[in-house]
Amino acid sequence: MPQTFSSSVLIKGISTGARLRRLSLFFSLIAIAFLFVADIHLYTPDPWQELSRIGLGLVTPYWPNASELGVSLLYTVSFALLAVSGAAIIGMLLAMWYHWRVVRVLAAAVRSVHEIFWGLMFMQIFGLSATTGLLAILIPFTGIFAKVFSEIFEQQPVTATSTFGKASRLSRFVYGWIPQAWPALASYTRYRFECALRSSAILGFIGLPTLGFHLETAFKQGDYSEAAAVLWLFLLLIASVRFWLKLRLLPVYLLLAVLALPEMPPVNASFIWQFFSQDIWPTALQDGDFNGTWEWVSRVGVNEVWPALWQTIAITQAALVLSGVLALMLYPLASRALVGRWSVLGRFKLLVLRSVPELMLAYVFMLLFGPSALPAILALALHNGGLIAFLLANSSEDANKRIGEGVPKGMMRFAYIDLPQRYPAFLAFLFYRWEVILRESAMMGVVGIATLGFYVDSAFEEIRFDKAFFLIVVAALLNICVDGLSRWLRARSGLKAPTL
Amino acid sequence: MRRSIFKAIAICATVFSASIASAETFTFTAIPDADESRLNERFGKVADYLTEQLGVDVKYIPVKSYPAAITAFRNDQVQLAWFGGLSGVQARELVEGSEAIAQGYEDQFFKTYIIANAATNLIPREEFPVALEGKTFTFGSKGSTSGRLMPEFYIRENTGKSPEELFSRVGFSGDHSRTIALVESGAYDLGAVNYSVWDIELGLGKIDQSKVNVIWTTPTYPDYQWTIRGDVNARYGEGFKAKVTEALLNMKDEDLLASFPRKSFVPASNSDYAPIYETGKSIGLID
Amino acid sequence: MFVLDQQSLVQGRHAVLNDISLEINAGEKVALVGPSGAGKSSLLSWLWQQHSDDIALCPQEGGLVDILSVYQNIYMGGLSRHSSAYNLINLIRPWSLRQQEVYTIAELLGIDETLAVSPDRLSGGQRQRVALGRALYRNKPIFFGDEPVSSLDPKQGDELLGTVLSQHKTAVVAIHSPELALKHFTRVIALNAGQLVGDWQTQDITLADIKAVYSGE
Repeated sequence: MPQTFSSSVLIKGISTGARLRRLSLFFSLIAIAFLFVADIHLYTPDPWQELSRIGLGLVTPYWPNASELGVSLLYTVSFALLAVSGAAIIGMLLAMWYHWRVVRVLAAAVRSVHEIFWGLMFMQIFGLSATTGLLAILIPFTGIFAKVFSEIFEQQPVTATSTFGKASRLSRFVYGWIPQAWPALASYTRYRFECALRSSAILGFIGLPTLGFHLETAFKQGDYSEAAAVLWLFLLLIASVRFWLKLRLLPVYLLLAVLALPEMPPVNASFIWQFFSQDIWPTALQDGDFNGTWEWVSRVGVNEVWPALWQTIAITQAALVLSGVLALMLYPLASRALVGRWSVLGRFKLLVLRSVPELMLAYVFMLLFGPSALPAILALALHNGGLIAFLLANSSEDANKRIGEGVPKGMMRFAYIDLPQRYPAFLAFLFYRWEVILRESAMMGVVGIATLGFYVDSAFEEIRFDKAFFLIVVAALLNICVDGLSRWLRARSGLKAPTL
Repeated sequence: MRRSIFKAIAICATVFSASIASAETFTFTAIPDADESRLNERFGKVADYLTEQLGVDVKYIPVKSYPAAITAFRNDQVQLAWFGGLSGVQARELVEGSEAIAQGYEDQFFKTYIIANAATNLIPREEFPVALEGKTFTFGSKGSTSGRLMPEFYIRENTGKSPEELFSRVGFSGDHSRTIALVESGAYDLGAVNYSVWDIELGLGKIDQSKVNVIWTTPTYPDYQWTIRGDVNARYGEGFKAKVTEALLNMKDEDLLASFPRKSFVPASNSDYAPIYETGKSIGLID
Repeated sequence: MFVLDQQSLVQGRHAVLNDISLEINAGEKVALVGPSGAGKSSLLSWLWQQHSDDIALCPQEGGLVDILSVYQNIYMGGLSRHSSAYNLINLIRPWSLRQQEVYTIAELLGIDETLAVSPDRLSGGQRQRVALGRALYRNKPIFFGDEPVSSLDPKQGDELLGTVLSQHKTAVVAIHSPELALKHFTRVIALNAGQLVGDWQTQDITLADIKAVYSGE
């Protein structure tokens, strides 16, 4: 009866929302705890002169030599197109046999290493050639495709294939699973292509002849007008993908991409052999000196791996939660269903956030806040938050196309309907990005925070491939752990893999 | 034992692959210490000059970093490279028989400036500044001679401490121009920068001296040089190395020299870089 | 109150409703009957647009937000009565006054035990009660329902429909069960293939008349 009623009635029972809220809170607390571990400092520099130069550059893009830029644009697209096509096909084959542990482990291993690290390794073998660029994207993407495709297959209803009788695995896929899942597979591949364009461009940072090459050079030299020209071109490329990437034109594009590839110099077999047999193993191990090897491992472990591991994890956790917060704040602004016509502005903002390379954002933040983990966290959060917000805005618009009558509008629709409906997908996206953020925060070592990437970069600079390889393996193992943890959490919380 | 087997196999493979390559293009790379824009255009002209002088097809490939240049040199993608002091030493360690053949006129007495943000209130002086403890500091790129190796060496020599012990934070900007920008903005208190980059940017009016200034200059040391692989005579004809050296020393065109940017090139040898090798060893950058 | 005068609704090339004329007055309780696809839902949403502010709507799929608690799902019916800030605070910490109101409704519907549970964990029947709860909490003079008790067993459906209708002065409900239509409503409107095929006062007809609509006679 009303007078005996107390709020305790609301506490008993299980609410999915409350559980997800607890999970979110738990992660937020971990992030806050890690903020104390992370190397965070707030300096108060006087960045306005440099920032005004950057700002001026952004509005006065300029490139002196259009053909040079055109060629690198062509390479960027060619690498991405060929690598994604190859990776999608191999990934599809792997996804069909994903129930085999060896396939799962292989896929997890290859995707646990960042494209830049793959690029740095292949560069030692194939030099600055198309092979390096293609493999650096193709290999990790294959692992990602294998995983996501297998998850898409898992979500398909079994009705069709259960009527096939004892057909072979391949036939069951070709006649049942693949056609059934085609829209999801195609839309995911399309999304991956956008990611590949980014990866391809970023590979220019280590010297491949893609857009990133010019972007990094111009930015580094302080030629902000030139950097802006490359950046705008890249944004235009990303924004225009949906207008020109059509399935029936794909064969033509692939042919053009093959023709457009830069020349591949002959590979010297001895260097491949030397790289795998000697360069990446510590000298002591090659001499069969196990004590010496152990000493080497423990020295690198104590001096570099251990502190770097903590920084990497701390930055990852902080950036993960901040990405989530930003995504939730930003996505309603880009959803037509929530803000109407203004969503165009929000969309543009998200396009910029998810396209501008994180390293560049980190540099700008470093000018603002001084050197510490803070710029890296902010850059990662803005980039990944922008990406998740983009996916959420799309799903919000889709859902609201078929929404019934009588739902509240504006802010209330966001708080009571849209946000709760998006929330499980949001968490799933965020957990998917977890391992990506980890890989990227390892990469962020380049701006001077001592994450794993810092030491990997140093080892390559010092021509110590054994150390670089060891550190990359550590980073990969950490990544595999986080991947497993994320999968476990998603399963336990009933967070379904959202179709992208 | 096992290593020597590996080596034998590697040598066989090298001989094999070298023998199948014929009518070769001679390829070089160069990363200038300042202004890395339009590398292809600028060094394409250098390639044209060398083609004319050497009578073989000469090609330039652009690279992004010292390690990339070293790798290309080691993997025989380039046979000639314009290296920094340290990267040259590292490259010659990896490729037996390779040789420093010429250096820039300025590289005989190269130096590094230690620069400071105005807020640190440090003033320029002759002797090594003492009040650096606890400040933040940025080097240039990790493998740079003028941006990393030599300044680190003098910091250790003058303070008896490693940079990590002396400063509250040590960063690597990756590039000399960026070092200047970061110290000027105050993101870092101090930085180490290649003197020629500083002088050029100052001349172009890109530096606001009320915000950032030079507070100390290192003693001189040898830096950038042309290094060539040892097997070029066998592959491009007897006396090819001497021809390359001569072509470089005779490069008088201001336009070509400006790409590096150097006044002219003078003869050099591996032994000129012994001090760099020793310094690299002493701070643990070379095993 | 609701008036349609020889109106048609075309979706694409296909006429969903064809030449419909009808008038519904305040105080009437109207059952819409007819086979699936006859146009009942379209007619409901058409009528709804005429007085949307005075109508408590219970759509076919219920419009439940799966991960929020049953309490919040019912509370949503009252969003328009409060300021945004008030609603936002309620989302984080439910107001005790509102809890009491919602509890009263939930008790009426037999779902008071599940207030803290989220609807994704409830049976189809329980979900329908939640959707009805939201409609009741709207506190409007008119009730619009689209198969609001289809997932409940006949006895429970009968009881709940009675409860909901007793709280509203006017009602228009699409319903499949001829028995319920006869028992609870004052007027029965029959649709078939977008055409109005019958419009009777309940006291004038028998079960057989309604069943005839479904057999297409």
